[in-house]
Amino acid sequence: MQRRAFLHNLAAVGAISCMPIFIQRSLAADGGAVSVDQLPKLEGDITLYLGRGEGGLYENVLEAIRKRNPKLNLKIRRGATAALANSIVAEAKAGVRRADVFWAVDSGAIGLVSDAGLARPLPADLTSQLKPGFQYPQWAPVTGRIRTLPYNTDRLTPEQIPESVMALADSDLSIGWAPAYASFQSFITAMRLLEGEKATEAWLRGVSRQATNYAGELGVVMAVERGEVDLGFANHYYTLRLKNGKPNAKVDLAFTKNDAGCLVNASGILALSDGDLPINFIRYLLTKEVQAYLASEAYEIPLANGVKPPQGLPALDTISPPKVDLTQLADLRPTLNLMRRVGVL
Amino acid sequence: MNPRYGLRWPASYPLALVIAVLALVPVGVLMGLASDSAELFDAHNLKVLTNTLLLMFFTVLGSVVIGVPLALITAYVQVPWRKLWLIVLAAPLAIPSYIGAFTLYAAFGRGGEIQQLLGLPMPSVKGLAGATLVMTLYSYPFVMLTTRASLLSLDASLVNAARTLGMTVGVSLWRVVLPRVATGIAAGALLVALYTLSDFGTPAIMRLDTFTRVIFVEYNAFGLSQAAMLSLQLLVIVGLVLFLESRVRGSKERPGRHLTLWPSRGQKWLMVLVFAPVILLSIVLPLVVFGVWLMREGTGGFDFSYAWNSAHASFLAALVAVILAIPVAHAAIAGRAGRFMERLTYFGFGVPGIVMGTALVYVGLQLPFLYQTLGLLVLAYVLRFLPLAVGSVRSTAEGLDPSLVKAARLLGASPREAFQRITLPLTIRGMVAGAALVFLEAMRELPATLMLGPTGFETLATYLWRVYEAGYFGRAAIPGLLLVLMSALGLALMLSGERRAEFDVTGK
Repeated sequence: MQRRAFLHNLAAVGAISCMPIFIQRSLAADGGAVSVDQLPKLEGDITLYLGRGEGGLYENVLEAIRKRNPKLNLKIRRGATAALANSIVAEAKAGVRRADVFWAVDSGAIGLVSDAGLARPLPADLTSQLKPGFQYPQWAPVTGRIRTLPYNTDRLTPEQIPESVMALADSDLSIGWAPAYASFQSFITAMRLLEGEKATEAWLRGVSRQATNYAGELGVVMAVERGEVDLGFANHYYTLRLKNGKPNAKVDLAFTKNDAGCLVNASGILALSDGDLPINFIRYLLTKEVQAYLASEAYEIPLANGVKPPQGLPALDTISPPKVDLTQLADLRPTLNLMRRVGVL
Repeated sequence: MNPRYGLRWPASYPLALVIAVLALVPVGVLMGLASDSAELFDAHNLKVLTNTLLLMFFTVLGSVVIGVPLALITAYVQVPWRKLWLIVLAAPLAIPSYIGAFTLYAAFGRGGEIQQLLGLPMPSVKGLAGATLVMTLYSYPFVMLTTRASLLSLDASLVNAARTLGMTVGVSLWRVVLPRVATGIAAGALLVALYTLSDFGTPAIMRLDTFTRVIFVEYNAFGLSQAAMLSLQLLVIVGLVLFLESRVRGSKERPGRHLTLWPSRGQKWLMVLVFAPVILLSIVLPLVVFGVWLMREGTGGFDFSYAWNSAHASFLAALVAVILAIPVAHAAIAGRAGRFMERLTYFGFGVPGIVMGTALVYVGLQLPFLYQTLGLLVLAYVLRFLPLAVGSVRSTAEGLDPSLVKAARLLGASPREAFQRITLPLTIRGMVAGAALVFLEAMRELPATLMLGPTGFETLATYLWRVYEAGYFGRAAIPGLLLVLMSALGLALMLSGERRAEFDVTGK
């Protein structure tokens, strides 16, 4: 089949500047990821803070881990990713630690926690299972996602969608968004970094006049498909999932060019307490079984070595994501303040 | 009371005082938290305030417009199966308003359930109009019940006099009857206002920025001090409503024969036609939507432990609330200072769940042994719903003839024995009723449970919220139906008589 390379402009922690990284998808290299059979059994108590947003699929992964490890007492606290990241920091400040592992749908939230010095270092043999460019000393990216503009194919043609996300504020399109969702907030953070505070504020004000709020981005994509709005802001996989369940769905993906609108981001996990259990728990998420499941069922981009990306992704070499250091996305507080000031939160 | 004890505090006072002070803890915590806050009031705040007040105003208006005519009908008009109609018309109280908001939201709008099933394009229910519709549908029974209770206390002879002097039925109802039940209407309207102010789920689902919704957003961003500031602003409005409520006094009339009206066949149909949409939207629609989801998606994803968790936490809350209610209720009967303490515990009922949650999350962070424990959640329930238990316990304790205790004492029983053998058996009914009410309210409580529940502790209400947020609506069927069933039991309890006084705020 076709050999595709897709360009990410992600920089490793500690890198001086952003550097483009090629991620090769090779059908031959299918032996990189570890299998669950090679992993030690998990035993004991562990508390996971799970930034929700993926609906049932992460739950299925966790359920499978539970089934495989009957002696594991896994407790899960679910909440919005940003809320959990903030709770972890507030808990640490108050001298309370409840979470052993934090699985976030967004690297901004991960950065918020690791910036607070709460993440425990990961062993090199774990991080080396990840594709080059996704190896961080303190957290493990689990899957990748791209910001997209899902649009209603009955109401819009691709030509009607501006190439610049900033131009949307001046368009007369009706827009669906989920401002409370962590990936959206990272997208705004990226815009803040790329375009400046003022332009972002003006953009938020402009778009909010024509925007409808939804609780999550699946809701955004569903609203686009129903024709409630012309287009929306959402991670790529929601649209692919919807189209998988409903092949004639009236929704397709558009990408802006070289701006926050097509930011590439990653879900990630980090350990908050010492010991082998959190680390070994993280290993499970990087196995080829889990990675392949998330790719085929959740349409996320697997980041462990040698796992195939999902079907139905558009030609990714045509996409030009912005140059944003993922760790900078942790600077969430000014974003929240800005969104609050504009009144979109 | 007894002059001999004039200077001595009744035994119930110290305990009641402790409990009353405990009830004030959340407010103190919020004040401390809010003092860190930079923003006292900004432009967005003004919008939130406006939305909250508009929602309250329109909901009260809608509830009066629907509730008062229904009160007249259920009180005076002779139709077959009157009792049944009353229960059906009061039934929206049995459905937590967030369930109504959820199902209406899912049923209406482009691509909603109604369009999918019938192919009819429907306007979407959201925003201020949507929230007002939902809140009105689920709170008009407050006005209906309080007004009806006032109407039933009126003597028909004044109306008969007006009729003999030439007034029509309509005019005499308007000019002779309604002015005399104004306090009943006001009492119901204030309950509606209170309910609207504290409701979290409906504005959240209807995406209307009211105080409760914005507090939750702030909490999620862990802007605890901003959330506390907003909470205090909301509490000021709540306090105002509570103050107005305490000023509403019922005028007492000598009881007489009730007015009875005999409608014609056409009038009966007219009544059904006018009020059928209310019942269709508030009760039939949610049940049908849940039924459709149940058939389409089955029971997938539901775990029985959610129901068990709900019941477990609510049971503990009920038990603790009743134990705490006993000294408070007895203090309230014993004297004026005690009545003041009782009033203080009522404060919790006015504190919206989201505000209680904000305060107690902070308490938990200061006292780590409480953080994310079942104990803290139960404490939140107890502080919020204690007044329900106090009310029930007090009303049965008041009905107790004090001479029975005196007789027992005269016959040589110690105060303790008199309590155990006379007071307790005679008031146990009120305790059970109070416990049941706390239990059922705690079952349907949403925001505080979301914020305070222990890790991995999913209840019916929080599970419903999770599937709503994730967009897996179909999975809401089972928890939704169970919650409706639970609330229906609570309603049955209220209408069975124990709680009539609670709705009849205008007098005994």
